[in-house]
Amino acid sequence: MTSLSDLRAATAGGDSLPRWGMIADLRRCVGCQTCTAACKHTNATPPGVQWRRVLDVETGDFPHVTRTFVPIGCQHCEDPPCMHVCPSTATGQRADGIVTIDYDICIGCAYCAVACPYQARYKIDKPLFAYGRNRRMNNEAQREMPERIGVAQKCTFCSDRVDAGLEKGLTPGVDPEATPACVNSCIATALSFGDLNDANSNVSVLLRENKSFRMHQEVGTHPGFHYIWEAGHDEGTAQEMLDTGYEPSEARDEPLRPIVGGVEPWLQRHWDWRAAMNFICGGTGAGLMIAGGFLGTMGGVPQTLVTLAAVGFVCLGLFMVFLETGRPLRAPINVFFHAATSWMTREAMVGALLVPLGLLCFLTGWGWLSLPAALLAAGYLYCQGRILEQAKGIPAWREKRIVPLIAATGLTEGLGLFTAAGALFFPGDAVLAGAIVMVLAAVARAVAWSAYLRALRRGAPTLTLRVLNGHAYVLLIGGLIVPLALVTIGVMVPAFTAWVLLAGGLAAAAAGWILKFVIVTKASYNQGFALVRTPERGTGTGGGAGVGIKPGWS
Amino acid sequence: MSGSASKSVKKVPTYCYQCVAGPDLLTVTVEDGVATEVEPNFACADVHPAAGRVCVKAFGLVQKSYNPNRIATPMKRTNPVKGKDQDPGFVPITWDEALDLIASKLNQAKSMGPTDESGYPRVAASFGGGGTPTAYMGTLPAFLSAWGPIDFGFGSGQGVKCYHSEHLYGELWHRAFTVCPDTPHCDYVISFGGNVEASGGVCGVKRYADARTRDDGPGIKRVQVEPHMSVTGACSTEWVPIKPKTDPAFMLAMVHVLLHEVPLERLDVDFLRDSTSAPYLVGRFGFYMRDPETRKPLIWDGVTGRAVPFDTPGAVPVLSAPFLVKDGLEVGADGAEWRHVDERCDSAFEKLKAHVKDYTPLWASEICGVDAKTIRRITLEYLDAARVGATIDIEGRTLPLRPVAITLGKTVNNGWGGFDCCWARTLIACLLGALEVPGGTLGTTVRLNRPATSRQASVKPGEDGFMDYPMNPTDRDNWMAQPDVRNANRTLIPLVANSPWSQALGPTHLAWMMQDDAPDHWTKSTPPEVWFVYRTNPVISFWDTEKIGRTIARFPFTVAFAYTPDETNHMADVLLPDCTDLEGLQLIRIGGTKYFEQYWKHQGFALRQPAATSPTDSRDFSWIATELAKRTGLLEAYNNAINRGAHGVRLYGKDWDFSLEAHREYSVEEIWDASCRAASAELTGGAETDGLDYYRREGYRVTDFAQLDWYLYPTLKDQGLRFEMPYQERLYRVGKQLANRLHERGISWWDKQLEEYDPLPAWKDYPKLWEDALEANFQIDIKDYPFWLMTSRSMQYAWGGNADIQMIKEVADNVAGHKGVIMNTKRAHQMGIEEGDLLEIASPLGATKGHVVLRQGIRPDCLLMIGQFDHWKTPLAKTYHVPSMNKLMPMLIDLTDSTGSGSDLVKVKVTRLKRGRGAGR
Repeated sequence: MTSLSDLRAATAGGDSLPRWGMIADLRRCVGCQTCTAACKHTNATPPGVQWRRVLDVETGDFPHVTRTFVPIGCQHCEDPPCMHVCPSTATGQRADGIVTIDYDICIGCAYCAVACPYQARYKIDKPLFAYGRNRRMNNEAQREMPERIGVAQKCTFCSDRVDAGLEKGLTPGVDPEATPACVNSCIATALSFGDLNDANSNVSVLLRENKSFRMHQEVGTHPGFHYIWEAGHDEGTAQEMLDTGYEPSEARDEPLRPIVGGVEPWLQRHWDWRAAMNFICGGTGAGLMIAGGFLGTMGGVPQTLVTLAAVGFVCLGLFMVFLETGRPLRAPINVFFHAATSWMTREAMVGALLVPLGLLCFLTGWGWLSLPAALLAAGYLYCQGRILEQAKGIPAWREKRIVPLIAATGLTEGLGLFTAAGALFFPGDAVLAGAIVMVLAAVARAVAWSAYLRALRRGAPTLTLRVLNGHAYVLLIGGLIVPLALVTIGVMVPAFTAWVLLAGGLAAAAAGWILKFVIVTKASYNQGFALVRTPERGTGTGGGAGVGIKPGWS
Repeated sequence: MSGSASKSVKKVPTYCYQCVAGPDLLTVTVEDGVATEVEPNFACADVHPAAGRVCVKAFGLVQKSYNPNRIATPMKRTNPVKGKDQDPGFVPITWDEALDLIASKLNQAKSMGPTDESGYPRVAASFGGGGTPTAYMGTLPAFLSAWGPIDFGFGSGQGVKCYHSEHLYGELWHRAFTVCPDTPHCDYVISFGGNVEASGGVCGVKRYADARTRDDGPGIKRVQVEPHMSVTGACSTEWVPIKPKTDPAFMLAMVHVLLHEVPLERLDVDFLRDSTSAPYLVGRFGFYMRDPETRKPLIWDGVTGRAVPFDTPGAVPVLSAPFLVKDGLEVGADGAEWRHVDERCDSAFEKLKAHVKDYTPLWASEICGVDAKTIRRITLEYLDAARVGATIDIEGRTLPLRPVAITLGKTVNNGWGGFDCCWARTLIACLLGALEVPGGTLGTTVRLNRPATSRQASVKPGEDGFMDYPMNPTDRDNWMAQPDVRNANRTLIPLVANSPWSQALGPTHLAWMMQDDAPDHWTKSTPPEVWFVYRTNPVISFWDTEKIGRTIARFPFTVAFAYTPDETNHMADVLLPDCTDLEGLQLIRIGGTKYFEQYWKHQGFALRQPAATSPTDSRDFSWIATELAKRTGLLEAYNNAINRGAHGVRLYGKDWDFSLEAHREYSVEEIWDASCRAASAELTGGAETDGLDYYRREGYRVTDFAQLDWYLYPTLKDQGLRFEMPYQERLYRVGKQLANRLHERGISWWDKQLEEYDPLPAWKDYPKLWEDALEANFQIDIKDYPFWLMTSRSMQYAWGGNADIQMIKEVADNVAGHKGVIMNTKRAHQMGIEEGDLLEIASPLGATKGHVVLRQGIRPDCLLMIGQFDHWKTPLAKTYHVPSMNKLMPMLIDLTDSTGSGSDLVKVKVTRLKRGRGAGR
């Protein structure tokens, strides 16, 4: 899937194409949720799904308090991470900037949901009704949307209204019939919609005459949603505001709190233990494949058997993630649709080669096949790292140092398992060598972990850091010191070799499993919401715009 | 989503009047006969002040229609025992059976005479929502009018939940049932607890948003003075967290600064001199010094250097000087008179100045918990913003421009202290010439004065150069010693007047209280033999709700127009499912000026029409009313009442007559077709007579409304009248006379209220008044109750009766506080309380439970519960487990002010019951 700028370049007319955008004037918004309700009506979203909603953000300490209402939803980014990660190409982007979802293609993997830094995406797995399962109302029956079950959904900028309006010669943002429902309904006229490419459009004029920012610009998404915070021309660049804007959270003299008002980062729920199992099993399987492929050449360990075990792990992981997809019948096919940018597609492709190759190795007994399989497995590990790194909505995942960490731990886990199983069933030099390599991999993992954590400490949700810091001992003690000690004993005291290598291998692997389980399900706080500036409210003492806030961040 | 080709899709125009800040216009999308979407009515963007938009509440109406918890058919109670713990045993019956049952009770009552042995009406009715139910009850008002005496005095929220003092004093001083700034022209607002962004409707929200972000100059500055930071506080320039119920002290300090710390020339001296009673001379007994011959109040004429009647041509009143009146007359209560010769006396202005001498900002700061510098700064900023001397041209007439206003919110402008705040607010406007002029403080509409359709027309010259006011008499001959309704509104509250709204604006809790015990020398009240209840749920919405529930359970026959089961109709004998908002047919008036910020440049009518077929066997309200009239033998009187316009529009005029024949039974459509024709004729002077079809298609019809009529000042100028400010001589006399009447009957339990008839209100320690009342009535140590518990309106719920609408709950929960009780973060942490913990909140009266929501935007000594919940019967709502303060507030005479109102305020203590789930909101 190409980016918006590529699309524009490829489309005749170039910049004369509209770029639809929305503006929320934070000075005007009163947080009434009329837009939330209007969106629910127009788009017939079920209970709990709010493509548009308004945050109630409180900042400061009594009595110096500011309370701001912030409309949120899909930001229709110029460079949408959700689209890049989508393995099925269900998420797309029109030449006019609107980010779309094709419900008929989407496999419901929710990768887009964790890639979105704005928490704009929803996925529901069964029909929901306001008054309960067996109490469907007439209006719900009339507007039932089975195509939305099990797939991603989000704000469309009411693209059907925009398109129908344009066909009638109407102007979106000016004529209600061609304008998104939230904008039409806004009782404070805080929301505006229009063509950002037209210098004379309502939104362009508003942006020109007022100071505005876009949320989470640091993620590089270039949203099509702007927030006005003060009258007058912008004097500084967005980057300057980012550099100087946010009030450090440390200034608040109070204990850390969990979710407050849905503003601070909260734990993502889209990828649960099943997704974690894919990283655990896939990583272990790939590591095992590598261990088997290379160390197996030393003899003593049946390569084909190791390969089969590795394939089993990989398949188990894929099966787990298959269980998590909302549309499992489509998933095995559609997951391959987006090799251009999606690391999930690439993982699937590598997996699609790795698994048959491994099976072939086992069925034919051609041990040499385990070497190319090991190379594919290395690729598989890399894909897994990149999958997490590509999820821009989760600060603990998108840190690029997660890639070496995932690779190192996968390798360690595979070697750990190789060492443990080998010590029990096929003792010999290969296993001993595996144990030593495992220790080296564990050291590499510890180094990667340390680098990863250091990078995160430069900016991450405080709760993410708290969780990761709280589990550091697992990796260092269980995943490094214990295996190192046990392997050393194993080498020094041959009588104990089998048992201590078994324990050491399992410790090294288990530490990795725990680590990945924690990263995927416990430390995966999302981006939350932030304001580059709080708005001015009228004129005079006390009414000026305030410094930015990024609640819940270190 | 646009409909597919096979769908039949239409848009039906209608209105929303769920809250008092309406009505607003909308359209409903109907797909294949099913209502699916609410949208603004874009067609009236140039007519409606909020461009045809409706607030979030209107979007709940689709679910309201199809709510599976609706009562589907008329129901009859089978369990004669009533109570919270009783199963009513409701069984379905036919409409015929239901109406016959009700008619038999009514006919029985009628046969015994309209009033019972206590002199009270046998039939009572309670309607909620600040008068909005009339926009949904079709022609029922015509039936009620045909019936005769009905007791409307059982409160369901008014008094304690409304702007009660503002209603009464506002109507007295400037024909202002409610008050608001002329927001589009205003530059500086001080809002004492006003919550316009939550309860001011779409017009209020839009006007303020426009004012904040003006293209042609600086935006409005609003200082929000309130103990917690409401939605309105959030949208304000500055938040001043004041202690509850100390607002009068803040405002008295403002008056002090204006009168003692700035030169007189900075004030609007011309306005004070010519448009208020500031120059009136006051005698030693506290009454105006009058000319013995004409009995008119005297002023000191600066031209002739002597005291002359206030309306002496050519006289130039002097505000401050040593005044020596050669011959004057004071007229006191009950005809008492004192003749004075060579008497030194002060002007009302000098009296005022002396009155506030000690009310310095420093004095107020200790009471209010607000820095004296802040009070002084805000006052001086306000003075600067007033631009005394500026003018503006409105529709060809030059008027003063005073872009400053003070607004008051619930709990500030009702109950004890409400009088003080309303007085000070109106007074400060007068000091700066900012009353009823562009940019300043305006009234919205009249409900006690007549005619209800025009503030200007309600202005008639009264005594002493002021507007006339329909005060209930307190003189010995005319005082209504025997109340005609159970809340004794006209007996105890002279200001409440005698309009159709007056009963509901009496001390409505007295009607409930006296069902249990009558105070000394007072007749114990009888229960109504038939009680109608519609669009209200007093068992949830009033104060001391447990007591209300027990009292209602004793009413012998209750008819509830019922949408779903609820806590009040749980005690009913008959449930009647009426067509809900999107299902009924009705024409109402729109436009002109109305609360809270509805200032139109148009006026006319709008139609509510069925957008969808009801999924239940509900009936149109007008059909029900006609059936009741027919079955009680009142058809003729009912039709005549319709012809007179009891349902909203008179059917005849100068050149048109669409009157119904008195003896004929009309269909719903026939009644409203005639009404539509009359409405068209009224708007066009008889030139057009379009009927129901026109309104079904267009939704509304309007004609122009002059912007000049937003302001009352021109009318007073034209009639040579003055605002009755600052000195309250009339009220002082009325209070003394009322005291005499009550004392003659041996009644002393209203004495505290009588003290409020003060010509110039002095500060009373209102927080202590609350504490003393609780200690005296509950034998508790108030130190055990360290928190003030308050409430705040929610736009999503207020007046809507929509707590059971799932979508409303869903979106309301996005606004902090809707899931529990708000508490100051730091204070909570000091007590070991964390976000989401389950608390018990107990007042001396009772206890409730709720999860805590921690916020920085609330004083550490306060707690806040938004809205009104605690449901135990209403489907869905009973699963919310959200607390309400209503059952914690005792109904006490001690907590009742002289207008008969209380306030949403009580002292409480908190106990943590268990750790929460982390996220309380």
